[in-house]
Amino acid sequence: MRKIKTLISLILAVCVLALGPVLSAKASATTYTYTLEIKSGSFEFPRTQDAYLPDKTVTSLGLSKPSDIFITPDFIMYICDSGNNRILLYDIRTNTEVGEIKGAPMKTPTGVFVTEDGTVYVADKGAKAVLKYGADHEFIEKFERPTEPSFSDTNFDPLKIAVDNAGNMYIIGEGVYNGIIQLAPTGEFLGYFAVNTTRISFSQMLQKILFTRDQLENLSMTVPTTFSNIFVDKDGIVYSTSMSADENSLKKHNTSGGNMFKGGIVGWNDMTDVFVDKNGIIYASSQRGYIEVYSKDGEFIFEFGSFLTGTDIAGLFTSLPTVAVDPDGYIWAADGDKGYLQSFKPTDYAKMIFSAMDLYESGRYEESLSAWSDVLRLNQMSVLAHNGVGKALFHAQRYKESLEHFEVAENRNYFSEAFWEVRNVTIQKALPWVFLAIILFIVISIVVGRIDKKGVLKSKRKAFTDKILDIPVLGDVLYMFRVARHPNDRYYDIRVGNVRYFEKKAGLGHGKATVVGATIIYILSFIVYMIYRTGKGFIYQTVSVEDMDIAGTVAGFFVLIGLFIISNWLVTSINDGDGNLKTVYMLPAYAFAPLMIGMLVIVVLSYAMTFNESFILTIILIVSIIWSVVNLFCGLMNVHDYTFKETVKSIVMTIFFMIVAMIIALILTIMFEQLFNFITSVGRELVLNVL
Amino acid sequence: MFSKTKTSGKRIMTRVFAMVLMVAMFVGTLHAGAYIDTNRDTRPDPEKVEYTLKEYNKYELLYETDTVKYLYREDRDIIAIVDKRSGYTWKTGIDVPFSKELKNNLNNAKTPEEIIEASEPKEKSLNTTYIGIANSLVTVEYSELETTKYLSSAAETGSVSKLMKVEGSDNRWRLDVDFQTIDLQLSVYITFGEDTITYDVPFDALGGEGVKKLTAVILTPFLGASGGEAEMYDPELGDYGPAGPKYRVPGYVFVPDGSGALIRFQDNNVAFNPYIGDVYGSDPSTKTYYYSEVSDAVPVKSPVMPVFGIAHGNKQAAFVAWADKGAEYMDIIVNPDETKKVKYTWSYPRFEYNTTYFQVYNNAGAGYFTLMENPNEFDISMTYRFLSGDGSTGFEADYVGMALAYREHLIDTGVLTVKEAAKGDIPIRLDFLMSDVKKSVIGTTQVVVTTSDDVRNILDDLMEQGITNINSGLIGWQKKSETLAKPWAYKFLSRIGTKGSFIRLFEDFAKKGVDISYSRDFVNINKKMLSYYTNSAKHVNTWYLQVDNSVLFPENAPIEYTGYALPTKTAEWIEKLTSKVSGYSESFTVTGASKTLVSTFDRTGVITNLTQAADAIRGSLEKASKDMKLNLETPNMYLWEYTDRFLQAPVGTSQYVFETDSVPFLEIVLNGTMELYGPYSNFSFYTQSDILRMIDYNISPSFIFTKEPSYLLADTVSSDMYSTEYSQYRDLAKTVYGKVNEVLSQVKGYEWTDREVLESGVIVNTYVKNGETKTVIINYTDSAVNCMNTTVPALSAVVR
Repeated sequence: MRKIKTLISLILAVCVLALGPVLSAKASATTYTYTLEIKSGSFEFPRTQDAYLPDKTVTSLGLSKPSDIFITPDFIMYICDSGNNRILLYDIRTNTEVGEIKGAPMKTPTGVFVTEDGTVYVADKGAKAVLKYGADHEFIEKFERPTEPSFSDTNFDPLKIAVDNAGNMYIIGEGVYNGIIQLAPTGEFLGYFAVNTTRISFSQMLQKILFTRDQLENLSMTVPTTFSNIFVDKDGIVYSTSMSADENSLKKHNTSGGNMFKGGIVGWNDMTDVFVDKNGIIYASSQRGYIEVYSKDGEFIFEFGSFLTGTDIAGLFTSLPTVAVDPDGYIWAADGDKGYLQSFKPTDYAKMIFSAMDLYESGRYEESLSAWSDVLRLNQMSVLAHNGVGKALFHAQRYKESLEHFEVAENRNYFSEAFWEVRNVTIQKALPWVFLAIILFIVISIVVGRIDKKGVLKSKRKAFTDKILDIPVLGDVLYMFRVARHPNDRYYDIRVGNVRYFEKKAGLGHGKATVVGATIIYILSFIVYMIYRTGKGFIYQTVSVEDMDIAGTVAGFFVLIGLFIISNWLVTSINDGDGNLKTVYMLPAYAFAPLMIGMLVIVVLSYAMTFNESFILTIILIVSIIWSVVNLFCGLMNVHDYTFKETVKSIVMTIFFMIVAMIIALILTIMFEQLFNFITSVGRELVLNVL
Repeated sequence: MFSKTKTSGKRIMTRVFAMVLMVAMFVGTLHAGAYIDTNRDTRPDPEKVEYTLKEYNKYELLYETDTVKYLYREDRDIIAIVDKRSGYTWKTGIDVPFSKELKNNLNNAKTPEEIIEASEPKEKSLNTTYIGIANSLVTVEYSELETTKYLSSAAETGSVSKLMKVEGSDNRWRLDVDFQTIDLQLSVYITFGEDTITYDVPFDALGGEGVKKLTAVILTPFLGASGGEAEMYDPELGDYGPAGPKYRVPGYVFVPDGSGALIRFQDNNVAFNPYIGDVYGSDPSTKTYYYSEVSDAVPVKSPVMPVFGIAHGNKQAAFVAWADKGAEYMDIIVNPDETKKVKYTWSYPRFEYNTTYFQVYNNAGAGYFTLMENPNEFDISMTYRFLSGDGSTGFEADYVGMALAYREHLIDTGVLTVKEAAKGDIPIRLDFLMSDVKKSVIGTTQVVVTTSDDVRNILDDLMEQGITNINSGLIGWQKKSETLAKPWAYKFLSRIGTKGSFIRLFEDFAKKGVDISYSRDFVNINKKMLSYYTNSAKHVNTWYLQVDNSVLFPENAPIEYTGYALPTKTAEWIEKLTSKVSGYSESFTVTGASKTLVSTFDRTGVITNLTQAADAIRGSLEKASKDMKLNLETPNMYLWEYTDRFLQAPVGTSQYVFETDSVPFLEIVLNGTMELYGPYSNFSFYTQSDILRMIDYNISPSFIFTKEPSYLLADTVSSDMYSTEYSQYRDLAKTVYGKVNEVLSQVKGYEWTDREVLESGVIVNTYVKNGETKTVIINYTDSAVNCMNTTVPALSAVVR
């Protein structure tokens, strides 16, 4: 969804600098800060307090197409000034230029990395080499295309570079699909460090199966997305960014090159750069102008920025190729087109979050609880803060209090665990009483059995239920339970027009199937279905009512049943089925009893079950579905007086007919819409240009 | 929910301590250093401008007063304004020759003296068109084959202009310009005052076929421009030397972006887009497209007043310019250094007569670009007032003087009236968000987060804490709330409070001196709210205006698109609702209608233009103001006459990259004429520097509260109110109010006369009342400063 939105906003933003109604004024940031919220399983990005404020704008350096920046611990920024073919050194604290690296062998530098001892590595696409300079910025060495046979004829146009503590170089090469090139300190090719896998879409898969070899050759080749940037943090961990790789746009690599963010990250899919500070906080930039901040585990903390062109507002970028963070925590970025630097100052809010995370990481749960509570005060919608408070409470064994926070954060796993603990306590308290009740029940039934040897009570009970079943409409509805117990017999009854009911005197049956009864069952089953959909306990209610397409659900439920009835009636009419429209209408209704009971049981149990017991609910659901389907099957067989084989055939045909009907309806709707559009267009055209 | 019980004092202390400690942990790594100004601050004054007194022998004297001489140069259409107080000269154009002209002059010059006189600097970054514009008194912008072109009154070819005196007047002249290239005739009436020039361009004086192509009229585009590159004549060499920068006049352009922004003249190495300040906001009905989309960026702050100015040097020379007519169609444009590759920073007012829009003709959105058939009909009246010196003679020549001069003009014309303010505490604004709607199983359901009783309890609680000068607005008080209730609906939801309970609330608190009011937007409407097609404004392409809010609203919100109400309906609704509540409510709060100006069109053309729309809303508020006070959210200048409380007063600017300073221009203009309140402190406006900013800008704090936690609103369109629960903000509100009140209550009722930057991060505001002077020193830096014999601790403010 977000991608579609992005696309639309992209198109719109190019044409219009559109500003709508403003609901709340802002004091000083130029873009809103967003945090992540998971609602009914989908991602939403609500606004939060400003995390960073645009700080300094440096327009005086005369940069041209800056492509990469790197900040050393002593506040010196190395700017890869590609358009001017140089590396510019800028002192953040004094706001002055403090030197440059330029001239042969440097041609067109595109990436820069500085190690802890001050050695400067430059990826030079123009020189097709990696250049190494000493801490004094004197040229030392040039690493050209590896000669190892395993590198074969791969291109060597280094775009970005990072170097680990051992001096191993990680190089992003232009047009290299095999992965990140890894060179030893000597320049020897060690292999490809990590690879982006290709993904084949469904249509591509079909093409692969159906197309001839010629046709396949004409198709553009599917190649893995290429890496866009690389970074090595102080512990030697490698991070990479990729363009159009969706949740894999940002990776934290283990030593073998695999991605440590198992589920991927949430963020834009056009990441251009990544920087990791000394606390492991990850900062990434996206081409269209957003800066994202993640925890060391890849958890989304916040993002800010915007895609807007045509206005030069601090914090908005025409293109954002690179990002870095200085030792004070200020984020620095360069505008790739206009060539100026922009810094962002962390607000107290951002600092508060970082410190809360830090406290939690170091196991100081009580302190982190108070820190997270302060964050929560400033944003009561923050999932991050609710999770933070919840987890801190959880670790402090304050399970009951943590439940509310996990519920707001929609953190079902933790909620389930905390709930298990809470339930455990309740069970332990209630257990003696439950045992007592059971024993009491057993004792009473034995006693009653002893006393009432003739079964008077039993027959009275039967007479009572028979009486209820004989109440006109209520009996008709309750008849479905009898159907569920003996589907073959009862559906036979329906076929023969409830004769047994009328032969009640013979004591053969109570209750009957009627159209009114069936209609009531349809309504009841819809109500039960809606309760099932909307009323489960938090752990199992993954979609909240506000997020549901209620109109669609209602229409879907009744249209599907209606379509089944009509299709089945039509199909069986031409296939010598005995059932008429009336019996076919009643048929599905009287099959629903087990499913309705099953759903209600699940709803009730869902309030007491944790994730550990989810299999119980699954089994209940499966059993009730199978039971209802068996009922339906028996119903079709009996009502139409079919054999097993004929029944199967009629079901297949019914389904086929349903699909055809839906397709026709769809086509008709589209056609009428087109016709309507055509007529209105002609009308408007006439009004505008002719009249 | 969370800590609903009263937090004990001890716990607060521990909390505050923990917070301080935590922040300190991070700040601790910061090394102490000088305060670094950002564009949210005001920097120290610019350098002095250097200038010499000159004779203007190619100029004829038009008019002379005690303070100013007005001269005119016929061939280049330039008026020179010689300020007799300082000798500084302003020219409406930069007074440079076309290259052909320069060549001719040089060829004709015989004697060395003649050569020196003829050898004017040769402009480097300006071509012939731009030289024409740079000299011109008036330039027109027109559209030809979907491209925008410029033609100036001083163009080399294609236009002729003639200045003549208006009969029967000695200070009024008329410049007739014939833009022959496009067959457009135009007259500018020029009136000279004591230290002012007024340009009037009546719509009736526009003539010719070119009116259909005309998109905008620009007045004196290069008045006060600074920068430029030129080749200078070297008499020894007998030729021009290499190009170099011209003398860059130190100073700045002031624009009414937010509270006020300065764009200092500086050498940028970046090709910027211009600053375009669309006065009163851009009209959605005449934008290129009929639909728009809310973006992730904070919307730029539209100028709420038609004024701008330029200062040269440090309190030496400045002008402030304002529009008395045509403001609805006015843009304030600044082209900072290197915009369009011009090395000048230049700034001017632009009046828009026509605009290109996209005419859509089918549902698929196909269409074509076109101009409006008829231009906007309006008159222009633009006045420039020239300021000089440090304030010893008249208003000082900087942004403070500009603000005071503009304020004087608004008081003279009756827009503003200085109101006597009683001594005592400053006011605080507390708004309550009562409810909003979210989707439900069937239709929608109203989420109530504050009831009328809650409002009562919260206000009582705050009054107990000693905050008594309170006024309050209720948002979402109607049945179906702000989102779905009809704007004029006077229906209540008993879960929030019955009509009776609201009346009692209003009346009980009125007795205690607390003013509670209903709040409503009146402009932003949606299809679920009312019968849309009879109430919604239409774009010039005759489609209904549409705003896509999907970036702002949650995905499951009851509405996604909004539109704009017809201005006449807005006015009608305001009257309807205010007349119903005026009996018991002391004031009324208007949010959207106070800051949104929309025109509307149909097939025959414009139905309500911007001037009429502004008049309609002003009319309805004028009526309402007879019975009630009016609290208006960021009201535009045409509503100031009826504004008692200015809510959400902008603090700072839109932060264009080239804007160097933020200044409280708006606040100086309005000081003492109405109460001003800052943005809600809940949302990123609560830190110590924000508190100082309120003191510096002389605005009162405001908060928005709910009784229940705000996450209950997550599925409503109020989901951006991410933190509003009263119990969470009770202490912060007290702190913020206490700190601001401590300083500002001491200067309440005083006139704000000056604002100086002593050094980076240290501001001194001067207030005067009956000859008594008080100064407020604000120290934004994180170290104590000594100034004016006072020590001001880090991050604090003192009154002297």
